[in-house]
Amino acid sequence: MLGDIGLLITALAWVATLYGGVAALISIRTQDRRWLESGRNAMIASAALLGGAVLLLVLAFLTDNFRIMYVANHSSRLQPLYLKFSALWGGQEGSLLLWSAMQAFLAVVALREGDEHKRALIPWAMVVLAVVGLFFTGVTLYHSNPFTQFSRMPLDGRGLNPVLRHPGMLFHPPTLYVGYVGLSIPFAYALSSLITKLRPGVPLPTGSWVRIVHGWLLLAWLGLSLGLLLGMRWAYDVLGWGGYWGWDPVENAGLMPWFTLTALLHGVVIEDEAGRRGGRRGFRMWNYILAVLSFALVLFGTFATRSGLIQSVHAYAVSGLGGVFMTAIVVSLITGIGLVIAAFHRESREERKRPTSSVEDDFPLLSREGLFFLTVVLFLMLTLSVFVGSVLPTVTELLVGRRFEAGPEWFDRVTGPQFALLVLLMGVCPLIGRGLAAFRLSFKQGTAGFGAFMGLMGAGATVGLGLWAGFVQPASLLGFALTGLAATTAVYEFAHASARRMERRNEALHVAFWGLVRTQRRRYGGYIVHLGVILMAVGVIGTRMYQVERQMVFQAGEPAEVGRYSLVFDFLSQDRVGDRLSTWAEVTLYTDRGYAATLLPQVDRYEAFQQSYSATALRAGVREDLTLILAGWSEDGTAVTLKAVVNPLAFFLWLGGLVFLAGGALAFWPRSAGGLWNVIAPVLIVSMLAGSAWAMWGTAQGVVINRGVADSSSGSTRYGGRARVGQPAPDLNLTGLAGETLSTEALRGEIVVLNFWAPWCPACKENMPMLQTVADDYLDRGVTFVGIAFQADERSVLDTLAQIGITYAVALDDEGETVSRYGITGVPETFILDPDGTVAFVHVGPLRENRLRSELDALVGDR
Amino acid sequence: MKRSYVMAGVLIAVAVLYLLVSSTGTTANFFLTIEEFRALDEDLRGRNVTLSGAVIGESIHYDASIPEVTFTIVQIPGDRKEINVAGGLAAVLAMAVNNPDAAQMDVVYRGVRPDLLQHEAQAIVRGSLQPNGVFHADDLLLKCPSRYAEDLPAQIED
Repeated sequence: MLGDIGLLITALAWVATLYGGVAALISIRTQDRRWLESGRNAMIASAALLGGAVLLLVLAFLTDNFRIMYVANHSSRLQPLYLKFSALWGGQEGSLLLWSAMQAFLAVVALREGDEHKRALIPWAMVVLAVVGLFFTGVTLYHSNPFTQFSRMPLDGRGLNPVLRHPGMLFHPPTLYVGYVGLSIPFAYALSSLITKLRPGVPLPTGSWVRIVHGWLLLAWLGLSLGLLLGMRWAYDVLGWGGYWGWDPVENAGLMPWFTLTALLHGVVIEDEAGRRGGRRGFRMWNYILAVLSFALVLFGTFATRSGLIQSVHAYAVSGLGGVFMTAIVVSLITGIGLVIAAFHRESREERKRPTSSVEDDFPLLSREGLFFLTVVLFLMLTLSVFVGSVLPTVTELLVGRRFEAGPEWFDRVTGPQFALLVLLMGVCPLIGRGLAAFRLSFKQGTAGFGAFMGLMGAGATVGLGLWAGFVQPASLLGFALTGLAATTAVYEFAHASARRMERRNEALHVAFWGLVRTQRRRYGGYIVHLGVILMAVGVIGTRMYQVERQMVFQAGEPAEVGRYSLVFDFLSQDRVGDRLSTWAEVTLYTDRGYAATLLPQVDRYEAFQQSYSATALRAGVREDLTLILAGWSEDGTAVTLKAVVNPLAFFLWLGGLVFLAGGALAFWPRSAGGLWNVIAPVLIVSMLAGSAWAMWGTAQGVVINRGVADSSSGSTRYGGRARVGQPAPDLNLTGLAGETLSTEALRGEIVVLNFWAPWCPACKENMPMLQTVADDYLDRGVTFVGIAFQADERSVLDTLAQIGITYAVALDDEGETVSRYGITGVPETFILDPDGTVAFVHVGPLRENRLRSELDALVGDR
Repeated sequence: MKRSYVMAGVLIAVAVLYLLVSSTGTTANFFLTIEEFRALDEDLRGRNVTLSGAVIGESIHYDASIPEVTFTIVQIPGDRKEINVAGGLAAVLAMAVNNPDAAQMDVVYRGVRPDLLQHEAQAIVRGSLQPNGVFHADDLLLKCPSRYAEDLPAQIED
């Protein structure tokens, strides 16, 4: 029932969109605005219907309507409420429906009435947006219907794929869709502008299409950026490989439209400035091409991985969607590029007929315009590089008959220099932003010279810092120099402009600064974005060039070194909750300053999905992040395989990400107060920033516990963790049950075997006869055995000892003081202290006889 | 457009194209089937390559203490069309593991045994052939035919 209604209203929405497109065409033909109004109403109806379809699907999730196949495949009765919501976009069908609905809603907003210029462009934009809407709604209906039903109702659903149950993943898809859908609007207005230019008899509208879509570009940019960052963070937390970017085709698919969009944002600035000066050229043709390319790349991104064109780990079933999307890409590219060529061809023909009256722009390469041009070229080259890398197997097979595959190394090598050049441009641009002549002039006056001097100082200081912190590879130092230069000149730009404003308006520094940021949001938002990128670049250099990765087997209690850390695996635990079996290792982390933290890397196994979800333990720091991943364990739980990854400077990557988003948000912040949008936008922006900050830092993914243990005997706090090999043994101050003095002083000069046990622990009792045998053998060789019982009363301890026949000294640690000093996490645990009172051996769990003997032989032999 | 702009643009484009081509020569992997790899010239065999094949379940041996896993993969066609003609990936994998004449390759991978390393899974291994004739995989990717149809959309999975 629900499913039928859902299908019906989706189909109605498709019809409404079709009507909207046709009505817009009629209005163009007849010049009758009433047809346009009618078409607009149809678009609104379509958006409302698709919104209704989405709500129905949400309702189906909330009411556990498992007759609907999509619900059954992505939800289950026990699934928490928030996951039932996010399951909406947990699969292809729901994602496409959501996409279609967002497409319809944003189209309605984008087609609102505006100034004269916008009104001239709306009809054709409506046609284009209707076609785009028809495409996505049509694909949802015919190829990927979320309302498909089973003939009977299953009892329960499969639940959401476990790897998607992460906060980063909750918001990652919808934010990416905002970016993707947002890009269809510049595309529509670009095409509309080109078509309007080509129509004979229609006067060319004044102004430029880019002013209409500037806000949309920023919205799409914010959506894509946030989506990419959340995806990176998700990979960092969940995928269990200690990285955040693997140059996988699916990642690349999101990155390419981001490149072209960023290029477009730069091109738009120059077109805007040229327009204001009365010039005409600017980057107009580039901007059209970039808008078309961005949209085509969005289609490519959604299509690529399911077409078979690209080999990917993520390449799931090759669905029939490949061909449909391929056609859409070809159509949009041919239409777009064809229109650009036709329009500019006609324009140059007309120009030849009559001499132009407008001002020709003429800027040297080393000017703001020139540098922006280079920026656009670089972004296009990056797009090309990533595109080539993604389709390399297919391309090389065609060209040389052999498939080559581009790995991360290939991408790093190809894109690295291009990114470096971009950072250099960022650094140089504020200095010669007003043209080389202006630069020379201000150089004489001292201001720009001062800026350049500061830039070089910044570069030097960053390199110095890098060297001091031990990052000595020449390529990374070059990278640091570039980031230092760019960061200083960006800050200099703020300082310089504030100072000028202070002087001009006679304002205080903070007033001038805020005034600047408030009145020129896009410009200074852009500079903040640059600062974010620079910070991220530092993180990328650190993590890409200095990452340390080690995978090894840890025996319980035995320390292992990774970088400057010493890790001790303590014990393994398991717990079953619902369909999930959680296994986690408790690992104590020491630095050269002693105990640092306890890390709990965990693996959740979902039987229903035959899939494991690795919750890494992450200890984040400014200098570096340490990630521990539980990779495997032995049957008895006394050994685990851990992967440890040290990511230097990763902190700057995530910090830069937030700065970057904040800059974008500032640029997007509405210009003037008043109007509904000016209320919605700030709310959206603030919640987005707060949400991403939470997703990136606030989640308890890296479970780290700091345990400080108060040492009551000395009155000081000793930090937790087990006593370690090579360290002085913690104090002993016990009296044996037979009255022996068991103190550090009394036992000095002896090899001491300390066995912690408890009468209620069967494994301990099984182990003790062996200890007695060995104790007897080593009695006259300077080895003393001491049993320490805890969480027990004297009676039961004495009974147990008599039963087993233990004759070595045993003390009862009623207060648990010794136990906490030694950092025991369970019984049995055994320590061997050498004659100097240093810990020589630690073992967690039952001890094997040959192991104990070989350790003792080594110590006895030393004497 | 000014000549200096064109020159700078062309310069950057040429540099990037050079990077693309030279990186493909040095750091990109060959993507080969086992038969193609066997047919390669001797001097090319030590190179880093990517191989794809079907996993023989019985051959999987895992030593948890290193950790290291060894297994054998057998020839499957690399061409997607050929796979589709033969009835899809699952059918191709099933055929490959039951064909005693198929070309084989012993693989050793230093790492934990992945869950998906099962009989009839498709393994994609990146690495190089060692002098002892065993393929040393630095990376191991697995696709299981049963899970292959699982429907994570592209944009969710990255």
